[in-house]
This record gives sequence, C-alpha cells and structure tokens, in this order.
Amino acid sequence: MSFNPADLGWITPYLILAGAGMLLVLAEAFYKGTDRTALVGLAVAGSVASAIASIVLYRQLGPNEVHPIFADSHGGAMLVGDRLGYVLAALFALTTALTALCSPAHQREHGWQIGEYYGLLLLSASGMVILAQAASLVTVFLGIETMSIGVYVMCAMRRTSRRGNEAAMKYFLIGAFATGFLMYGMALIYGASGTLSLLAMPKALAVTANPGLVIAGAFLLVVAFGFKIAAVPFHMWAPDVYEGAPTPVTGFMAAAVKAAAIGAMIRVFGVALGGDILPFGTLGWASPLVVIAAITITIGNISAVRQDNIKRMLAYSSISHAGVLLVGLCAMGLGSTSAESSIVYYLLAYTVTTLGAFAVVSFVGSKGRERLLVDDWAGLASQHPAAALAMTICLLSLGGIPPTAGFFGKFVIFKSAMDVYNGQLLWVVIIGIVNSAISIYYYLRIVTAMYFREASQPFAPTRSTGLLFVIALMPLLVLELGIMPGWWLRLVG
Amino acid sequence: MNAMPNLGGGFVLPLILAIPLLGAIFVMCTPKPEGPLQRGLGLAFSTITFLVSLSVFRYFNAADSSMQLVFDTEWIPGLGAHFKVGIDGISIFLVLLTTFMMPITLLGTWRSIDKYPREFVAAMLVLEAGMLGAFLATDLFLFYVSWEVMLIPMYLLIGIWGGQRRLYASIKFVIYTMVGSLLMLVAIFYVYVQAGHALGTYTTDLDKLATVSYPWNGQVWCFAAFALAFAIKVPLFPLHTWLPDAHVEAPTAGSVILAGVLLKFGIYGFLRYAMPLFPHGAVVWAPALAVLAVIGIIYGAMVAFVQDDVKKLVAYSSVSHLGFCMLGVVAITTMGVEGSIYAMLSHGLTTGGLFLGIGVLYERRHTRRLAEYGGIWKQMPIFAGLFLIVVMGSAGLPTLSGFVGEFFTIFGTFIAGDTFPASHPNFLPMVRLLAALAATGVILGAIYLLWMFQKVFFGKLDTKKNGKLPDLRPHELLVFILLAAGIMIGGLFPRPLLRAMEPAVDKFLVDFNKHVDEPDCGAHLYAEGCAKAMAATAPQAAMTGGRP
Repeated sequence: MSFNPADLGWITPYLILAGAGMLLVLAEAFYKGTDRTALVGLAVAGSVASAIASIVLYRQLGPNEVHPIFADSHGGAMLVGDRLGYVLAALFALTTALTALCSPAHQREHGWQIGEYYGLLLLSASGMVILAQAASLVTVFLGIETMSIGVYVMCAMRRTSRRGNEAAMKYFLIGAFATGFLMYGMALIYGASGTLSLLAMPKALAVTANPGLVIAGAFLLVVAFGFKIAAVPFHMWAPDVYEGAPTPVTGFMAAAVKAAAIGAMIRVFGVALGGDILPFGTLGWASPLVVIAAITITIGNISAVRQDNIKRMLAYSSISHAGVLLVGLCAMGLGSTSAESSIVYYLLAYTVTTLGAFAVVSFVGSKGRERLLVDDWAGLASQHPAAALAMTICLLSLGGIPPTAGFFGKFVIFKSAMDVYNGQLLWVVIIGIVNSAISIYYYLRIVTAMYFREASQPFAPTRSTGLLFVIALMPLLVLELGIMPGWWLRLVG
Repeated sequence: MNAMPNLGGGFVLPLILAIPLLGAIFVMCTPKPEGPLQRGLGLAFSTITFLVSLSVFRYFNAADSSMQLVFDTEWIPGLGAHFKVGIDGISIFLVLLTTFMMPITLLGTWRSIDKYPREFVAAMLVLEAGMLGAFLATDLFLFYVSWEVMLIPMYLLIGIWGGQRRLYASIKFVIYTMVGSLLMLVAIFYVYVQAGHALGTYTTDLDKLATVSYPWNGQVWCFAAFALAFAIKVPLFPLHTWLPDAHVEAPTAGSVILAGVLLKFGIYGFLRYAMPLFPHGAVVWAPALAVLAVIGIIYGAMVAFVQDDVKKLVAYSSVSHLGFCMLGVVAITTMGVEGSIYAMLSHGLTTGGLFLGIGVLYERRHTRRLAEYGGIWKQMPIFAGLFLIVVMGSAGLPTLSGFVGEFFTIFGTFIAGDTFPASHPNFLPMVRLLAALAATGVILGAIYLLWMFQKVFFGKLDTKKNGKLPDLRPHELLVFILLAAGIMIGGLFPRPLLRAMEPAVDKFLVDFNKHVDEPDCGAHLYAEGCAKAMAATAPQAAMTGGRP
C-alpha cells in the first residue's frame, strides 16, 4: 500500500464521521448533569455532513467507474470509491442521523443519559463506511470490528437493566466468536490466493493450486457473516439482543448493522469470490448460502408468529428479511445482472421501514415502561391515529404489500433470482413468497391490536420533536420508494 | 414518448383513478369528529368519479374490439413497468358498476357508521381507487399492485366496523386472499422473465406478454397459480369458506362492495389474465373449474336455503351466482362469456341491493335472524315493493337483469360442444349435463330467495318489535329506486350492453382459439432464452467481475 494524500478526498465520508465521533467523546468530558441533548446537534450535523460528502463523491463517478484508494502496485487497494460504496455510505450516515434524532427522548424517558453514546454511534457508523468501501480483506475486518465494538457498548448503555446487560454480553461473546470464523476464513482464502485485495482476488483464485482452501474459507466466511446478519442457524442471539438493547439502538442494529454486513458480503462474495472463475464456480459458497437463505426466511417467520413482544417479533422479522437479502446475494453470485441494484434497493427500503417502525415503538413507551407487548398496543389508533397509521404503513411494507417499498424490494430481489440461469432459484422464490403470506399474519396482529381493539389503559407516549420527525418522514419515504422506485433502482449498476 | 392512439379520451381513466385517491387524502385532512362533513365529502368525490366515468361513452367505440382510451406512461423504467390503463367491452361496464356502486353504498349506509367516519370514508375511497385500478390496468404490474391495494381497506372495513367476530373474519379474509395472490406473484415472475427472454426486453405490458407463447408445462403451473388467486376471489367451491364469515362480520357497506364489486375480480382475472396468457393451462384445468363451478352453484344454493341469518343466506347465494359466471367463462362461447359478464353486472346490482336491504332492516331491528321477522310488508310497503324487485332480479325472473346472465351462461354452456377449438374438441366433457345441472341452480335460487322474502315480509306480524318500523328514508328511497331501475333496465334492454361487449368477447375467443392451436414451443425455451440472455450480458459480467 502506498499512502497517497490525494486519496484522502475519496474517504471524506469516513473522516467526517470518525472526526465528529471523536469530538463527541471529547465533548462528553466537559459535560455536567444528565442532559445530553446538546450533543445530538453535533451528532446529526456530523452524520448529515458525511452523507452530503458521500453524495458529492457519488456524483463525480460514472456508473461503472471504480477509483482505487491507497492502491498498491499489484492492482490492489485498501478501499475503493464507487457508486455502491457511496450509496451505502450515505445510507449509513443518514441512518445514524435519524437514530441520533430518536435517541434523546428515549434516553430521557428510560434513564440512560450517557453522552458517550453519540460518540460511539458515529464511530460505529464510520466502521460501516469502511465496510461499504472495503477493497481488501484487512479493511473488511477493520470495518466489521470498528462497527461492532461500538454497537456492543451501545447495547449495554442501560446499565441498570438486566436484560440490557444480558443482551450486550450475549452479543459481544457471539460477535467475538464470529470474528474468529471471519479471521480463519480470511486466512484460508489468503493462503489460497496469496493476496488480500478483493480487486485482485478473482484473478489470483483462477490460478490457485488449492481450491479446497477457497471452498473451506468461503464456508467459514458464510458462517461469520451469517452471525453478523443473524441468518439461521446463527441467529439465536438476535431476539434477546434486540429486546434488551435500547429501542433506538435496536433500530440502528436492525437497519444499519445488517445493511453494512450485507454491503461487505456484496464485496466479498459477489465480487471477490464471484464470477465463474473459481474451480466450482460460485457454487462453492452460493449453494450453502441458498439453503441458509431458505431456512432463514422460514424459521424467522415461523418464530415471529409466536411472539407477543413487538421487539422480539421485529427481531425475527429482521431475520427473515436477512434471508431475502441472501437470496439476492445468491442471485448475484449466480450471474443475475440486476441483483446488485435489487439488493441496494432492498437495503434502502428495509432501512427506512425499520427505522420508522422502531421510532413508533420508542414513541409508544415512556417513563421507564416500554409497552412492548402486542396487547399493550390495543387501541392505539383511537388515541394516536397518526402514529398508528405510520406503524401500519411500516408493517405493511415489512410484510411486502404494495404500494410500499417493502413490496417492491421483494419484487426486485425475487425477480433477479428468477433471472438466474435455468430457474435454479425458483424454489427459493416460492419459499420466500409463501413466507410473505405467513408474515402478513403476524404483522397484521399488531395492526389488529391498534385498530380493532379498545385500549385497556391510556397511552402516555414519549413526546419529542426528533422522534415525531422520524415517525412522520419514514412512512412518506416508504410510500415514495414504493410508488416511484425507478430512480432508486438506478442508483447502482 | 409513447404512442397514444386514442388521445381523445386518454385523460378520463387516470382521472377516475385520481379523484377517489385525492378524495381519500382530502378527507383524512379534515378534523376528527365531523361525521356528516366527511360522509358528504365521500359521497361528493364518489359521485364525481361516477359522473366522470360516464364520459367514457363519449369516446368509447362499441364496434372496436381493442383497448380504448388508453393512457400509457412509463412507470419504472428499469423494470419495463408502465402505468397503462384502458378499457374494452369486457371491462367498461364493470368499471361503471364500480363507480356506480360506490356512491350508492355511501348513501345507502349514510347513518350506519358512527365510529371513525373519517377513516371509513377514506378507506372506501382508497378501496374504490384500488378496484378501478385493477379493472383498468392493462399492465400486469399495475394490476398486481391495484389487486393488493384493495386488500387492506377491505380488511380495515371488516375489522374496524364489523360485527362480533370481526377479528377472526378480517384476518381470515386477508390470509386467504394473500396466499392466492402471492402464488400468482410467482407465476408473474415466471411470465415476466420468460417473456423478457422471448421478446428480448423486459416488460409487464399485457399486450406484449400475450403475444408470447409459453411452454405448455409452465402454462399449466402458471394457470394454476393465477386460477388459485382468482378462484379464491370468485369464490369457487371449495375455496369459498372465507366469504360467509367476511360477509356476516362486515358492515353493510363492506358487504355491498365485497359482493357487488370485489368478487368480480375473480372472473375478470380469468378473462383478462389467466386464460389469454395460458390457454394451454386453461385446457388442462377447465374441466375441473367447470365441475367446481357447478358444484358451487348447487351447493351454494342448498346451503343458502337452510340459513337463518339473512346475511349468510345472501353470502351463499353469491357462491351460487358466481358459479354461473365461472361456468360461462370456461365454456368459451360468445354467449357463455357475454352471459358471464352480464351475470356479474346483474349480481353486482342485485346482491348489492340485497345487502343494502338487509342493512335497512338491521338498522331498524338490530337482528339478522329470519325467525325474528315476518309481516314487514304492512309496516314498510315501499321498501317491500322495491326489495321485491331486487329479490326477483337476483332470482333470475325474466324481464329482470338476473335472467339474462343466467340464461346466457347456461345456454352458452349447453352449446359449447360445437365451438371448441379445433385442436381440443373435448375441451369440456359433458357440457350438456353441466348446463342441465346448472339450470337446477336457477330453480333452487328462486326457492331460497322467495323463501327468504316470504319469511321477512309476509305472514303474521307476530313479533312486537316489528310493529313500528319506519319506512324508507329519502336517501334510502333514492338508492333503492336507482338500483331497481338498473335491474329493470338491465332485464328489459340487454341488447345495447351485449352489443358493446361483443367485439371484445369475440376477440378474446378468437385469440384464445388461435393460441390453443399453436404447438408447444417447448420446455427448453426457458433454458435457451436464459443462455441467450447470459451470452448477451457476458461482456458486461466480465467487466463487473473485475470490480468490487
């Protein structure tokens, strides 16, 4: 690697996030009392600035233009600047901003006003941006760790909550375990290819003397990423962690952390291990991944049906959504040209929807009481019709009912899976679609509670401008994405 | 950008889609507890929609068999999805039925909704937009989206404003419908990819999709998937079990729209999508559909006969009546298909009227049990007279609308053996027997409907509560006069309507016969098409393979 100062411009989104993050940690040192609302401004400003930087850089690039950052002489690089990377970077930064907007009210109502939170949030997001632009196994690893460590701590922010501590511990231990798989898988692939660069990997793998190592390494990477995105059978931690973490953090995890891991998977599987260069073609990782995807969608949905706790229900639902994303990845690996833009669209749709849903969850609870049971939501529509409507739109989007973003996301993902040669993925598409019908059942349970039943006790929701802004904006975006998806689909590819 | 062959009326169809949607948004912006204002707005917007929809007659050419008043604009460029709407002889009257029934329903149920009037009106208007979208769409993607958009308002109508077991009924309705429509989505994917490979470009335009000849094997499965979605909606025996629950629990307005318009999408789907796209699938499944339709006719009638709940009785009568429509479609004769469409229109008016009438009674007596009624004629003579027309129309009395449709479907089935496609002389076995059995359904229908009428209106006034029932209020009177007029005109002057349908129906049959006679293009086409597409994109794939 050679350090080229001119390349710093291409990583401005990362620099801004990391800089603002460290500034926030420093600022915390000068604060007295418990109110940290003032820090939110800096956090939002930093993330929005980073997103703007991403958009500016995005606009300088052509559709298939790739700008290697910190390139070496062998055609490799540490990071890349391309459209995919900057779209994802902007998505992560905006998710961070919205999470920061939702947080202070939740902190106030549930008593976890800790200023480091905002610093950690932005530092974690900076890890995601690295992942989005990663072009080397080393940067993938760095990105994942930077992202995860921040999230581990954020899960444990409610120090007095036993569930929160349990969640953080579980997440940390399992995350560390997954890191082991990640490291080992990378080592094997490095051993087989002799390069760490994702750009140079396809060529190096084409002439490798040890195809077995590549298969084994790819499989270990599937396991490691499976943990990160909570794919079955590596999903056990997700419901507990989602339930135990503070709601804004849960939303952040469900939306951004998952999206970042999928972004890294596009880089590692779709590109470095993709194509028909490997001895076994892409089947080395795609065939186990397809099976995992089918199981993930099914188990996630069936488990969600039995949940009475809304956060746990959304956790299982997010597991099944990860399964759908894996279908898209497999389609990409098996040669579908539209898969990449489908995945990116799905990530956008899922992020927007999830943020909206979790914002309403934050809104409904207050004063230390979270009101997470479906029964607790009975009659919400009669007292807070707007919040109920927002939640309904988000739930319909999660369930994939038109004209919402979730429907169109599923549509394009399954469409690209059908593109695959000879209809190999048809069975997964059928499984995925049948599962949509199952998922409608439990999403509508919440709608049923909100609209069709009477409230047993009055609601005392959390009042906050930031939260209301997110609750108002997200459903509109869900509808916009769903009704006019054309522009969003062309962001990448 | 796009050729608009009939620019003259191109604005009408998007307009009648937009008015209810704008109305829904507008109503949602009004303050909360203003019942009369919101209902008035709902009535105004739906009436305007109806009046605007009447203007299609200015531009519609009854002699033309193709899609008219086409409005076409690109919607999702990457996908080839267009916002493309149009009408032909098959859909024009169904569209008018929809726009007519909506103000009728809002007016007829004026006083029955007190809870959340704003949301009620908004849900009804969104429902109207969804229904119109599904009837007007000539693009598969737009159709699917509209088809699903109908679902949620109906779910809310049953769930919020429904009866005792509304939670159960609403979720049953949604799950039933979703399962069917999602399997249809798989088939849509198949068609989309397959046609994309055959045409060289991805599109969801129905006209283009219909030109492709799909492998027979795929057609059988795709037809099954489409047919499942549509058969649930019809509802075809034995997939009808959601219907009685939904009808009984739904508020009057929901029942009227459900029976009056929503059920028609099943039959319409067969006519517009399943049969034109997959004629060979139709060949395989038509006998089963015909037999199920006849079973439904007789079974629905017999179950209706033993009901004590009036709403359930009418719900089962819908199963029976829609059986005629199904039979007429799979008979693939001009008479059968025309009769099917006519029966749908008549069923919309008569069953809508029956449910409105039940609503009128329910508002006064708060019961739907037949045993509680008797001798109402003396109390409500005007209502009884008008309701008699509706009942007779539903029972298929000659000179009323129900007769035309049922007669045509039965006769069309009876003669079907003479006109089957050359390559499939035994398209439907035993058509004469099927027709004869279906004809018994007419008799059964007369029995249970007249039985119901007799129990409610004749006999002694032996229940005290029935003693002082006010007759129709002005708004109810207006509604029933309009409906009765529609039923009588439909029965006395069917010719203009049938003539307007004929070119489109003939075109449907000619295309169907032509496609059925085509040889199988082979199951290998898919693989070949994929290979071609992969080869075409190979240089691109190599390029992207080298970049992260």
